[in-house]
Amino acid sequence: MIATVPRAVLAACFWRSLFLQAAWNRRGMQNLGFAYAIYPALRVLYPDPGRRAQALSRHLGFFNCHPYTAAAIVGGVIHHEERVAAGAEPPAGPEAYKTTLQGPLAAIGDGFFWTALRPFFGALAALGALLFGWPAVVAALTMYNAIHLAFRIGLFRAGYRQGDAVVGALARLALPVAAGHLRVAGAALCGFCAAAVVVHAAAMPRPSSVLVAVLAATVGYVVLARGARLLPTAYAAIMAGVGAALVVGRFQGSP
Amino acid sequence: MGYLALAVVSGLAAVERKGFLQAMLSRPIALGPIAGLALGDVRSGLYVGVPLELLWLGAVNLGAALPVHEALGTAAAAGATVLAARALQPSGLAGPMLLPAVAVLAVAACAPLASLGRCADRMVERWNERLYALAEQDLARGHAAAAARTNLYGLVLPFAISFVLAPLGAAVAAALIPLVLSRAPSLVVPLGLGWVAFNGLACASGARAMRGPRAPAFYFGALVLGIALATVTALAGGGA
Repeated sequence: MIATVPRAVLAACFWRSLFLQAAWNRRGMQNLGFAYAIYPALRVLYPDPGRRAQALSRHLGFFNCHPYTAAAIVGGVIHHEERVAAGAEPPAGPEAYKTTLQGPLAAIGDGFFWTALRPFFGALAALGALLFGWPAVVAALTMYNAIHLAFRIGLFRAGYRQGDAVVGALARLALPVAAGHLRVAGAALCGFCAAAVVVHAAAMPRPSSVLVAVLAATVGYVVLARGARLLPTAYAAIMAGVGAALVVGRFQGSP
Repeated sequence: MGYLALAVVSGLAAVERKGFLQAMLSRPIALGPIAGLALGDVRSGLYVGVPLELLWLGAVNLGAALPVHEALGTAAAAGATVLAARALQPSGLAGPMLLPAVAVLAVAACAPLASLGRCADRMVERWNERLYALAEQDLARGHAAAAARTNLYGLVLPFAISFVLAPLGAAVAAALIPLVLSRAPSLVVPLGLGWVAFNGLACASGARAMRGPRAPAFYFGALVLGIALATVTALAGGGA
């Protein structure tokens, strides 16, 4: 008979998993966060303090994953620890599960969330703010977090219920394909943002503002694509804009 | 009180950025207006937050690689913009180019804090290895709950660093900007164009962050399409 962790304790573990990176360190990376997240389940599964300490020491080892997709591993490890506590699985089982999944789930998480979904919504919020003001930012962030939390909660539950089968479930979502679409859509949103900057520049008292905006958005892209460092390029763009205004002003005889 | 509010907002953003939740609340697009709200001017905070979001769209924490601390840079720049614009109100300087001029000086002064924040992040990571050792000691003594709780101590240092540096950066910039603009009011318009250039570059930077072979085509295509649509709309509106 395998004892299961109560739902309230599962909820506590999920809440704690939101602090996964609180004490990120180079030696164990997210190890302290993982141990913190899993502890309420271990307290229930191992009433004996000695066994509990042994179980926790398994989870103080190295761990690093994307903070959202790591929810699947937290849920899956609870699934495995339930079996270990009942003697149905060797103690090395949860560790093997973590070691096997953390790399692939990190790659999926980084590739989809950090380099596609979040930049897409960042660009969407920026364009919305340029056109409609702060309510657009609230709307964009609400949509983002609805997706983000749905994934996190869904992955946690899938990991807990399905254990190792969570990888197959994730693969069926075809996240890399979705990420590709989000990236091109995000690039288009940035293009529309640049167009909005040009339109706003047209409303400025200096006609040269439009040319400055267009050049910065186009030449700036080419310069960055050739490997120029971002902050120096930003300063150069500012100085170029200031310089252009001074030169045009001198030709026009304006102060 | 304003500086204290900015400090708290910045500290919480530093925590949200990595230590808890990561729900985009510490991103410039959200933090800019939130910092502005803390100082009583959402609009100016958002004015700075939009291009900074685009500029730092590619600032992501992939594995062990550390990005710039975009939250620290944004909080300081937004705070400086709000405070400097407020300080300039009695000066008689006005016009549509004043806020852009203030914003570009605020960003130029405070953006390096983002790089400084990255150095601070590295320092925090090394410090957190002490927490790891502390957790191992607690576990060896049989204090499993205390060992698990050690994780939360990792939130303190990032909070404290941003709590101090963001209002400090904002204060220094907010003191210098009115000085510069009131002594050289002729720079307002050129600086306004500098802001336009910065915004254009920020859009380019955002597009570059969307890694992919088709991204450039979509970026330039949308730029041209957007300008064409705006032109047609303006002409249609003018003709009507």
